[in-house]
This record gives sequence, C-alpha cells and structure tokens, in this order.
Amino acid sequence: MGKSKLTYASAIDELESIVREIESGEIDVDILTSKVKRASELIRYCRDSLRHTQKEVDKTLSDLEVGSGDADPDAEE
Amino acid sequence: MLEFPGQEAYSGLSVFSLSELNAAIKESIEVSFPETLWVVAEISEAQCNSKGHCYMELVEREEESTIAQIRANIWASAYRSLSRKFENATREKLRKGMKVLLQVNITFHEVYGLSLNVKDIDPTYSLGEMARKKRETLERLTKEGLIYLNKQISLTMVPQRIAVVSSVTAAGYGDFINHIEGNKYGYRIFHKLYHAVMQGEEAEASVISALRAIRQEIHAYDAVVVIRGGGSQADLSCFDAYGLAVEVAKFPLPVITGIGHERDDTVVDTVAHTKLKTPTAVAEFLITGMKHFEERVLEAERKIVRLAKELMKEEIHRFRFIVQNFKHVLGSRLHQENKTLEITMHSLIHGTTQALDAHRNRVKLTLSRIGVALKGFFQMQDNRIRHAEQAVRLLDPINVLKRGYSITYFKEKAVKDGHELKEGDIIKTRLHNGTVKSKVEGNDGEK
Repeated sequence: MGKSKLTYASAIDELESIVREIESGEIDVDILTSKVKRASELIRYCRDSLRHTQKEVDKTLSDLEVGSGDADPDAEE
Repeated sequence: MLEFPGQEAYSGLSVFSLSELNAAIKESIEVSFPETLWVVAEISEAQCNSKGHCYMELVEREEESTIAQIRANIWASAYRSLSRKFENATREKLRKGMKVLLQVNITFHEVYGLSLNVKDIDPTYSLGEMARKKRETLERLTKEGLIYLNKQISLTMVPQRIAVVSSVTAAGYGDFINHIEGNKYGYRIFHKLYHAVMQGEEAEASVISALRAIRQEIHAYDAVVVIRGGGSQADLSCFDAYGLAVEVAKFPLPVITGIGHERDDTVVDTVAHTKLKTPTAVAEFLITGMKHFEERVLEAERKIVRLAKELMKEEIHRFRFIVQNFKHVLGSRLHQENKTLEITMHSLIHGTTQALDAHRNRVKLTLSRIGVALKGFFQMQDNRIRHAEQAVRLLDPINVLKRGYSITYFKEKAVKDGHELKEGDIIKTRLHNGTVKSKVEGNDGEK
C-alpha cells in the first residue's frame, strides 16, 4: 500500500471502491481481510483528520513564517 | 461708486470697490436664481466639521475629466435629517463618489464666494444611479468572462484551511469563529484572519489588499471566506465596486461570501464561488460539508462491516460444510479401509492357516514317506544283513565244517592246493568236531 499522500478525496474514492469490490461478491477470503484492514485505515485517517489539524496547523504556520513564495506546494491537502 | 486718489485719470470709467462688485453679483444671483433648484451632481469631496455642518465639492464628470465643479454646504440641522433620509432609502452613507439629486439654493457670499446651499435630497435618483452602476459593472464583468470564473474552481471535498477576510472588530467575525470552534462534532478548521476594513470608502482598497496578501500564501489554504457583521446593513456599496469584483473573480481559490445583508446580492456575491447570507451561515456551510463527508465515510464503514460479516458467515458455513463433508468422507473411507483390512486379515489368517495346514500335511506326508522309505531302507538293510548273516553263517567255516567239510592245515596254513603236499607231510585236519593229525600217503595227482 503506497505511502503516497492521502487526500480526503482519494481516501473516500478508495474506500468506496473497496465497498463496491466487496459488494460484487467476487472477493477472496484472504483478500477480504487485507481490504477490510485497508478500509479501516482509511476510515480512521478520515475521521481523525477531520478533528485534528494540529499537524497541518504546525506545518502551515511554519510555511507562513518562512515567508511568501516559500510555501510548500505539497502542503495542500 | 468709488472715490479714490487720482480718480481723474479714470474719468469715464466705472470703477467699483470689491465689496461693491460682490454685493452687486450677490444681488444679481439672488434675482436670477430666487428659488431652489434641483441639481444632479457627483460628490467629489465631503467633510463635516465639529459643529455638524457639511462641506462638499460637487462635480460633473465626462469620461475622466471634470467639466463642472462647485462648492456646496449643508447646515448641520439640514444635514442630520438629510443624511438619515438618504441612508434609510439607500442603506448607504452620503459620501464621495455618490451621484445625488440635491435641492439647492445658489448663494453668493461676498467673502466666501459662490456655493450651493443644500436643502434637500432625493435618494431615488442615487438609488437609480447605484443600480445603474451596478448593472453596468455586472455587464462589464460578464463581457470580460469573469462572472463564472471563481465558480469554476472546484471546492475541495473538505475545505479545512481557511483564509478569512474580515475586520477583527466585526461582530460577524466573532460569530464565525465561535460557530467553527464550538461545532458539536469536534471538527477542527485551521483559519487565519486577514484584517480589512469592511465598510466605507477605504473598504474596497482594504479588501483588495487583504486578498493580495492571501495570494502570497495561497498554498496554505483551501478557500477564502469574506465575512462581515450582520449588524449594519449600510455601506455595502464597496462590494459593488468593479475593482474588488475583478479581484474576487480572478482569485485562484474559491471565495465564499457571508456579507450579512438581506437585499439583493452585491456584485462580489455574484462573482464569488458561493454566496451565503451571514458569517454564521458560512461557518455552518463548512461544518455541514465536513459532516456530509464523514457520513459518507461512516456509510462505507457500515456497509463493509455488514458485508464482511455476511461474507465471513458464508465462509464459515462453507467451511463447516467442508469439515462435515470431510468428516463424513473420512469416516466412510476409514470404515471402508477397516473393512478391507478385516477382510485382508481374514484372508491372511485363512490363507496362512491353509498354508500352514498344507505345509503341515506336506511335512506329515514327507515325514511318513521318509518313515516308509526309512523303514524300507532299514528293511532292506535288515534283509541284506540277514542275507549277509545268512551267507556268513553259511560260509562260516564252523557251519561249513558242520556240513562235513574240513580244513586241512599244513604248517599252520590252510592247504588249498594238493600239490603243495608231498608224501609224508604231516597235516592237520580240522573237522567239525575235533582235529585229526595225518600223514600224507600221496595225492591223486590232478595236475
């Protein structure tokens, strides 16, 4: 599973596609376990991020303090 | 007329003192303009002094140049009622830039010169002017393709980093923050205030400047929120200004407005991405958006839990079935194998027994044959021995002697050949009973 940046949009996309996969019924029991685990991670990420922007706050503040034009383009969610 | 030294030089001319001239002008004007007039003009300056008297510059402009200008004043008493009337009707303060319809007296003062004294105002004209100007601004923005520009930027799924343009003293700002921070779901939004004056003459430039400051740090935000207090309904005209509208229209992030008014949308409202009524409504909008997102997440979670449980139940059933089946099949195989084993064992035992019996019989047979053969053999030997015995017996010299034969010894040796003897030999003859000594008289001579 990639360490690529999760955004709310990409997380919900992945989550809903896992739902569709499981709904389709063509899923193996072993794969089911890993998919459920991944879904669990995504759910936790979404719900936590809604409530904790501290990391983002710190990052954004430090971006702002560095000065104009130095804002990290990847800081965008 | 004047009298002054050296007057003779100017005989024939009319020379007046200034006061005489101004008095004459004043009189002339009073005669020419005895009544009030309604005049249309633009306020290019307006100031009130400590006593409440208002002093203005009125102009008429064509294109960019001023083609007429005059001073005007409103006495304090008139100003109070006039400005209230104007504000009630237009919800705007009388100020620079306004186009107004004024009822005036033309006055000329000897010292202060020409000016208009304002008696009354007709706000309808200004309303019309403002509406016209707004219409024109909207048309211009439409022609320049700016009306929908900001709306085309898609608002991120969960706008969580917000740049706020507002006044730190505005009640609306406080409402917004309270609503955000106190949301019952525990959602967190990162927000930073970019202070601006939100009403009056300086508003347009101030808000533009705040927006430009946000542009410098654009990557830190998901959206911009422009809010101001719902308290004062007046002075929203800055949000109809073309310059500010362009800044909002071209802004690279979605701009959400909550300017707090109940009348028609301002131009800025029209070009913004999303328009809401009040700062509280904006906060509500953001929080609700997050709530909807979370509901999608929870819905997915519910589905997954349910489906996974069902699938697992199915799997467990299948598994149980397989195990049962396995047990059954195994049991029956074992049973089969057992049976086969028993049969084999029986056959083995049976066969072994048979074989053993056969073997035993063969052994017995062989033994008996051996016995018979041995018996036969011994019998034979016995017979041979008997024969031999018999033969021996028969041949035993004693038995031979019994039958009348005798053995003749000459010099202790048995004589077989008569020729060995000569006359006179002494021979011994052994008879069955006894021994006889004899002298040889002669032999028969069988040669």
